[in-house]
Amino acid sequence: MKIVVPLKQVPDLVEDLELNDEGTGLDYEYLKMKLNEWDDHALEEALQIKEGGSAEVIAVAVDGEDVDKMLYTALAKGADKAVKITGANPYADNQELARVLANAISGMGADLVLVGVQSAGDRDGWLAPILATHLNMPTVSVVTGLEVNDGTATVHKEYSGGIMAEFDVALPAVIGVQAARQTPRYAPVSKVRQIQQSASIEEMAAGDVGDVVTSTVEEMRHPEKSGGARILSSVDEIVEVLKEKGVV
Amino acid sequence: MLSFEEQMAFIFLVIICGIIAAGGFYRIYKIVSSGREDYRFDNIVGRFVKALVDVGLQRPIFKARPLASTFHAMIFFGFSFYILVNVNDILEAYVDGWTTIGGGPVANAFNLFSDIFSVFVLVGMIFFLIRRFIGKPKVFEFNKNVLLNPAVQQGGIKRDSLIVGIFILIHVGSRWLGTAFHLVEHGHSDLSMPTASLVASMFSGMSPEAVETGIHVTWWLAMGLIVVFLPYFPYSKHIHLMIAPINLAFERRTPRGMMDKETNPNEPGAKVLTDLPWKQVLDSYACIMCTRCHEVCPAHNSGTPLSPSALVINKRYYINQEGSEIVAGHEKPLLETAIKEDAVWSCTTCMACVEVCPVGNEPMADILQIRRRMVFEAQMPDELAEVLRNLDEQGNSFGESARKRTRWTKGLDIELKDPTKEPVKYLWYVGDFASYNQNCQDTTRKVARVLHAAGVDFGIVMKGEKSAGNDVRRAGEEGLFEALAEDNIQLLEKCQFEEIITTDPHTFNAIKNEYPAMGGHYKVHHYSTFLLDLIKNGQIELKKKVNARVTYHDPCYLGRYNGVFDAPRELMKLCGVELVEMPRNKSNSFCCGAGGGRIWMKDHDDMTQRPSENRIEEAMSLGDIKYFTVACPKDMTMYSDAVKTSGNEGKLEVMDIIDYVLEAMDLPTEAENKEEESAEA
Repeated sequence: MKIVVPLKQVPDLVEDLELNDEGTGLDYEYLKMKLNEWDDHALEEALQIKEGGSAEVIAVAVDGEDVDKMLYTALAKGADKAVKITGANPYADNQELARVLANAISGMGADLVLVGVQSAGDRDGWLAPILATHLNMPTVSVVTGLEVNDGTATVHKEYSGGIMAEFDVALPAVIGVQAARQTPRYAPVSKVRQIQQSASIEEMAAGDVGDVVTSTVEEMRHPEKSGGARILSSVDEIVEVLKEKGVV
Repeated sequence: MLSFEEQMAFIFLVIICGIIAAGGFYRIYKIVSSGREDYRFDNIVGRFVKALVDVGLQRPIFKARPLASTFHAMIFFGFSFYILVNVNDILEAYVDGWTTIGGGPVANAFNLFSDIFSVFVLVGMIFFLIRRFIGKPKVFEFNKNVLLNPAVQQGGIKRDSLIVGIFILIHVGSRWLGTAFHLVEHGHSDLSMPTASLVASMFSGMSPEAVETGIHVTWWLAMGLIVVFLPYFPYSKHIHLMIAPINLAFERRTPRGMMDKETNPNEPGAKVLTDLPWKQVLDSYACIMCTRCHEVCPAHNSGTPLSPSALVINKRYYINQEGSEIVAGHEKPLLETAIKEDAVWSCTTCMACVEVCPVGNEPMADILQIRRRMVFEAQMPDELAEVLRNLDEQGNSFGESARKRTRWTKGLDIELKDPTKEPVKYLWYVGDFASYNQNCQDTTRKVARVLHAAGVDFGIVMKGEKSAGNDVRRAGEEGLFEALAEDNIQLLEKCQFEEIITTDPHTFNAIKNEYPAMGGHYKVHHYSTFLLDLIKNGQIELKKKVNARVTYHDPCYLGRYNGVFDAPRELMKLCGVELVEMPRNKSNSFCCGAGGGRIWMKDHDDMTQRPSENRIEEAMSLGDIKYFTVACPKDMTMYSDAVKTSGNEGKLEVMDIIDYVLEAMDLPTEAENKEEESAEA
């Protein structure tokens, strides 16, 4: 079985985010990027399937800053192959990214495509369905449990309000992973360094994505600071505040 | 003299038992040498001379338990002298007319020593048997959650102790009685053998035949027994009397704070026994199972499943039970045979077990090797993985932006120099905790104020600094440690400075002991010694006395690891405080529980009391102590918490040594400074 896991980099949220001059998006030039946490879960789930039976895990990513390290890390964790798509926009939205990924993945003969259900850098959390459409595969997203048996994947999908549903999906399929069955594994630095010496990353040109119809961001702003909260410790204080605000 | 038949029988016994024992010793050699490479052969003569002198003076054993050590010394001196006694007794058995009774001054001296030492050994041995079997000290017990070899659980150590104890009593006791029979045979007492003469007086009424029988029986019980005992040696803990001196001779000669470099990068650390360096396999044969190591272990004392003692004992029992399988390469993982996974993560790397061991064992080194392999196989607590990821991505353990490293400087009315941009004499390597931890930032600012007021030319490398990696390495993440050290050294190489100062003993240890092997050679000072020098050369003027009765906690990485015990104490006294020592001080200091990456992990569910709370209780037991003094940022946060959680808030306050210096310097406050400036203007 072949499992393809697209990996995406997102801004590291411990850093202060800066906006571009137009105020329409982030200024990526000084941003520190890291692997999207849900993609990490998708990769972990793929590796769990591989370790539970047999599967070939291929990590795919659009070329960009620090992407090599991310792909080597995936190899160090246990992925069998890493593919880097060159000549595409690493910060593209899901519509464009799905096209790029579909071009790359369509020839791979994937039985399963596991993508992170969302990313800090996207606006819709729709990568799995859009990619599935381009690949002409069935899809289920927001999945927290996955089991593969004879060409069928049994998945648990999470709905709001704590409702769970179980689906059987015919393979090949695209699954949007919400959480892997266990915490994504750590890649020891010495293993990553060893992999850098011994393994190589395959490169693939992005190809033509055609016209992408998508939404555009007209304005992006930092959230406005509100007054904040005050912790009150006595009824008297509450009364005082209410008086101050003119409520009573 | 023995009869001819007896003489032949003894030779036959020596050959048979000798062959079996030789097989046992060869087995030890095979197993020990199947361990990984460990170069301990430099200055081999010097090593053995030092070991023999140390053993001869019983130096290592007197590091703890003075009473038991005294009785041990009695047995040791007696047993050592018994080598001569045994040679004499063989001559007596084979050479017609050989006797030391009624001889010259040399013979009399020999007689006197054998008489006294016989009693020493008997008294010593009886003490140990009474202690173990009647006294039953709690310290010989293991926490219930500790992994123990089934044979140990079934009382294997006790049985071994009993067998060895009885052997020694019979061996020495028989020889002693034998001498008494000889005296009866000679028909007189001998002043050079006072105790044997006393016993002889009780035998005086015996017939010559009975005396002769007595001589033969006691000879066989003394000499025959030791030969019969030989094959048991390689399987008994008693072999420590041969292996311990060898083990001490092969002790670590590299700095304590420098971990061994990995010799097998493809399979780093240890999964099975023979993945350990051979010296650490040898450790298990030197171990006498005295449990001194877990007596001082903060993990053991806080109820977690780690006992360094059990680790070494388990190794030994596993070797005893499956030695041939080990040599054949069919080994079981150490995590099944020697130590549990959660025990591996309970170690604070405080070095107390290594420090106290009388035979030169390093249980902590085993744990570090096991961690190294576990991390390489991504087997570790989730919270540790999270911190290591942060360290990899941001260079600090807090998961904060690298840019926020200098946030502590806010509110500081001093312009700090950046050695990447301008030359400074001293580069202050601030370290993660002093920079990011809110409990520590105030202390860090005080250090800056003191250095500034003393006119020290210093700077910090701002956001370019990364964790020095001391505890990353000890958590087992060798690759990440190397990456951090390389980045830091690369940065330091770009800076213009002469020497490094730091408040953090962990950082101090890494730069002093670990960085040279990575190509970074720097002169580094802990602020305790640095400030003391500033006071002594007059750069810091102490104007007033701090009036307080205080105690001081030695940080592991400053004290045990690097031998800095006196500087902080001298500094505190110069500031005027009255220093009262806790019972566990200096090299016997008790760890706060934070080291080796423990501060990043959750407490074990079985923990009965945090080591830091135990330490605070120790300080409280001194009575009327105002301040608990620390010289390590991690200690500041650990003990500030422990004072609260142990219910001592308001009774005891945690102070950094810098607090005393600042108070004794009696600097004008910032507000006063400003007034002064405006007045000048």
